[in-house]
Amino acid sequence: MIEINLVVNEKPYTLNVEPSERLIDALRNRLGLLGTKEGCGEGECGACTVIMDGKTVNSCLVLAAQANGSVITTIEGVGNRRSPHPVQKAFVEVGAVQCGFCTPGMVLSAKNLLDRNLKPSETEIGIAMSGNLCRCTGYDKILRAVKIAAEEGAK
Amino acid sequence: MKYFQPHSVEDALEIAQTAEATFLAGGTDLVLHMRTGKVQPSGIIDLGKVSVLREIKITDGFLNIGSMATFADLGKSELVLRNAYALWQACQTMGSPQIRNQATLGGNLGNCSPAADGLPPLLALGAEVHLMSAEKEEIVPLATLLGRTPLLGQETLIRGFCIPLKELKSGFAKLGRRRALAIARLSVAVALEVNENKVENVRVALGAVGRRAFLSESLSQVLSGQELNQEWLEKGVLEVQRIVREALGTRASAPYKRVAVSGVFREALESIITEGGIQA
Repeated sequence: MIEINLVVNEKPYTLNVEPSERLIDALRNRLGLLGTKEGCGEGECGACTVIMDGKTVNSCLVLAAQANGSVITTIEGVGNRRSPHPVQKAFVEVGAVQCGFCTPGMVLSAKNLLDRNLKPSETEIGIAMSGNLCRCTGYDKILRAVKIAAEEGAK
Repeated sequence: MKYFQPHSVEDALEIAQTAEATFLAGGTDLVLHMRTGKVQPSGIIDLGKVSVLREIKITDGFLNIGSMATFADLGKSELVLRNAYALWQACQTMGSPQIRNQATLGGNLGNCSPAADGLPPLLALGAEVHLMSAEKEEIVPLATLLGRTPLLGQETLIRGFCIPLKELKSGFAKLGRRRALAIARLSVAVALEVNENKVENVRVALGAVGRRAFLSESLSQVLSGQELNQEWLEKGVLEVQRIVREALGTRASAPYKRVAVSGVFREALESIITEGGIQA
């Protein structure tokens, strides 16, 4: 076991993890943060996306030990029922959520884009969301929601 | 399994010499291979905390890229954009934003997939690889290194890449099944020098048409020292098709790739040849 220090959703943790343990396993099983979903488990679908030190990563391809010393945001740290993040609000308003499995990863990719770029173009939105797959919606509403969130945020 | 997280190159090399362990770069391949059981290392040396390995800088006529520079770092770097355009292009389309944030150029070489996106541009640009172990330091042309089996000794660290600053024009294109996240089915990188109206030292590298990316000697010969015009381009297309046919033999993908490569080759040259001739 290795001891690692993480800040997850603004709370510091010290964890003892297995060397082969992935970040997604540590988040879900040790911290009980079940909002991070495992889809393909091989970096194709983006359902497990979290923000690590300001960048989106697939938490299924990062070892927990690699994240030692990092600051991580999961969907639980983005907003909640009472005060949803503008991206979450827009997703609900537009109807960009169907089964919802890809949504946490989608929201984190969108939030990360808007954190860096207040007025993204449609191309920039497309690129930022290209690592997240959705099998229900056909993407149109998701991209529209990100655009609306950007417009709201820029006001 | 043991896990080491050194903070300096020296410490990493010392651990590699004494412990039976594999270097871990970004992990986008290795973490997956560990999970599927394809590799079962008895130890891991995580290079993620060796910050000096992430540097991208210019020294002594070379663009120096640390092995732990990520595809995202490279794709956003002005130095890479200005001095290694083909590599910069490859970094825009490799994987997805999440993968580019994690995956490194050194890891791309270490894993050495036939379809590795970073290798054809590095080959075309004449990159050398800086290798280190506790006992030995070596700078070797990437083209030479890719001829070695095994590629690297277990204790050998990829310190970084050195791309000579030669005012090359370069370009990269790949064929994937879709725009994002696609593993290259075929990739082409081209670099050349322009002397008045002639092109010199043309270097064409191909990916995903063999066990490893390779430079084509014959394309170099056929295309160097000539005037850049439509005829030149068509000659290149015929030759690149011949090379792919030869390299793939009777493989199932051969008929497809043999035809497809002509489009990918033309696309790789798009940034070099504009309608008015050679791009300034």
